[in-house]
Amino acid sequence: MGASFEEKSVWIQLVGMTLGLGAYFFVAGRMLLSGVTAMPAYAAVFMVATALMVVFLVAGHLVAALASRPEGRDERDRLIEWKSESGSSWILAVGVLGAVTGMCFSVSIVWIANALLVSLFLSEIAGYVLRLAYYRRGM
Amino acid sequence: MNHDTFVIHNRIRALRFGHREMTQQQLADRVGVSRQTVNAIEGGKYSPSLEVAFRLARVFERPLDDVFQCVPTNG
Repeated sequence: MGASFEEKSVWIQLVGMTLGLGAYFFVAGRMLLSGVTAMPAYAAVFMVATALMVVFLVAGHLVAALASRPEGRDERDRLIEWKSESGSSWILAVGVLGAVTGMCFSVSIVWIANALLVSLFLSEIAGYVLRLAYYRRGM
Repeated sequence: MNHDTFVIHNRIRALRFGHREMTQQQLADRVGVSRQTVNAIEGGKYSPSLEVAFRLARVFERPLDDVFQCVPTNG
């Protein structure tokens, strides 16, 4: 069966986030390993990565909308989103707990900020993968 | 608690063909869901809400249990 606009949108978000934030983590990882501890340096890289991601997302959704008429979300789309979020949100919770634990042990704020971003990133990616699995395999 | 297990079957494909070979898109438009959702319901990959189930039955002018059947599974 052909993918719905909602499913195509999930693919676009998965690829966009993997490329955009993946590039950020590649650069930020190298900066962390070389001892950069100034937050503004990471913020600049993050803003560039986010801007590129937004451009990709807008372009991707425009192409998808031109290729096939968006049908609008229905109850199945909403249920799939809810089930995927409930199945992936624990990753973000683990990241938050890890960050709080890091603060208790006075870990550098740069490491804590990036750990939070990683957990958010992984949680979103897991959510998109679950959504695609539910779209393809059913619930 | 001891629960019996059931699987939901449906006759949507047969009913569509009995209604002048109605397409999935036509049925989806009348029910207010996407064509992919109709496809998923037909293929048993998604059990719709009661509201959508009743709307499907109304399109075919049949009682609900003519469209969906709850079949007990062994074990």
